[in-house]
Amino acid sequence: MQPGALRRERDVREAYAAHSGELYGFALRSLGDSGLAEEAVQETFVRAWRAGDRFDPQLGSLRTWLFAILRNVVIDLGRARATRPRVAEGGIEPSVDPLEETLLSWQVEEAMRRIGEDHRRVLVETHYRGRPYSEVAAELGVPEGTVKSRVYYGLRALRVVLEEMGYEG
Amino acid sequence: MKADRNDRCREWRHLLGAYALGDLGDEERVGLEAHLEGCPSCRAEAEALASVARLLPLADPDRFSQPAPRPAADLGKRIAATIGGEERGRRQRRRWRFGLACGGVATALAAAALAIFVLPGSGGGEPEQRVEFASLPAGIHIGATLQPHAYGTEIHMYVKGVRSGTLCHVYLRGPHGERVPAGTFTYRWGDDSTAVLSSALDLSRTRAIGVRAGNRTFVAPVHAAGATADDNSTQEDVT
Repeated sequence: MQPGALRRERDVREAYAAHSGELYGFALRSLGDSGLAEEAVQETFVRAWRAGDRFDPQLGSLRTWLFAILRNVVIDLGRARATRPRVAEGGIEPSVDPLEETLLSWQVEEAMRRIGEDHRRVLVETHYRGRPYSEVAAELGVPEGTVKSRVYYGLRALRVVLEEMGYEG
Repeated sequence: MKADRNDRCREWRHLLGAYALGDLGDEERVGLEAHLEGCPSCRAEAEALASVARLLPLADPDRFSQPAPRPAADLGKRIAATIGGEERGRRQRRRWRFGLACGGVATALAAAALAIFVLPGSGGGEPEQRVEFASLPAGIHIGATLQPHAYGTEIHMYVKGVRSGTLCHVYLRGPHGERVPAGTFTYRWGDDSTAVLSSALDLSRTRAIGVRAGNRTFVAPVHAAGATADDNSTQEDVT
């Protein structure tokens, strides 16, 4: 894509086809309301189109740019409702911006959806449900070492997907 | 030597996931840590996995076990309609500016008046509706032009006099009092005060248009073809 290449309606249609699902997912996670989330996505693409001349792919991806716009839209809509955007439970450190934490939380959940079923399953059973590896291995009919391997490859896959989504931790 | 190291790494590496999650028994953990001390490559991998493991508590398995939510199927069309309408508005304003630049002041003022009241109705003979919000506080002016489309209604809003930076939510009201959203815009003082929006409600079924600006909502009746609205422009409190 060339600098300022989000000027035509066709560019916006292509950008919508590529990124609307993710943008909507994050908007819904932040605002907790499907109507508001759709408004946020609509406003994001309209703002992106209005400022299309300023988009420079040399400085960052279109996806990153759209997410930066969406973040501002979510803040505006959150202020308009006079409520704070929803915040994920738990957290990495107390000083983290709630919206950044929501974004990270949504990214991890989205990445979890994208890794293989075998990998996701062992992570859910062992880590989230706290079940012993031996029990999970027996249930799946595989050696315990295979469960450990799947946990290893699952975390690796998760890291790759997160990096694709722009996570730089 | 290198082959030996690779073999040893293979032996330990599959434990790195459980290690990162703190799930290894003492025996395996001690053995792995001894290997990590002498193996920078596995140590780097262990650190990378630990940074991912720290993120897991942020995710809720009940949520990621469900399919990713999708927006309504027509959202893309609504966005395209909004942008298309805005693009037409831009072209129209460029024409107005060109007309203003060509004429004298008096001619220009006359042309502007004509442009505002004549041009909106001249686009292909479609039955546009011009709506004025009548009962407004002093200093506030809101008007709208509604144009029918196959997807619903295109709305051009003109706002003046509210606080700069105010977020405005616009909706159309249907025959049964239902509200169909038409989007949002931010009013900027001194900037272009026209916003182009769209709603999925057909103009023929639209009975009123509402604008929530800050904590106040203003409503004006729409007398579209076939519509029978007899209320006047009103100001509502937001509940």
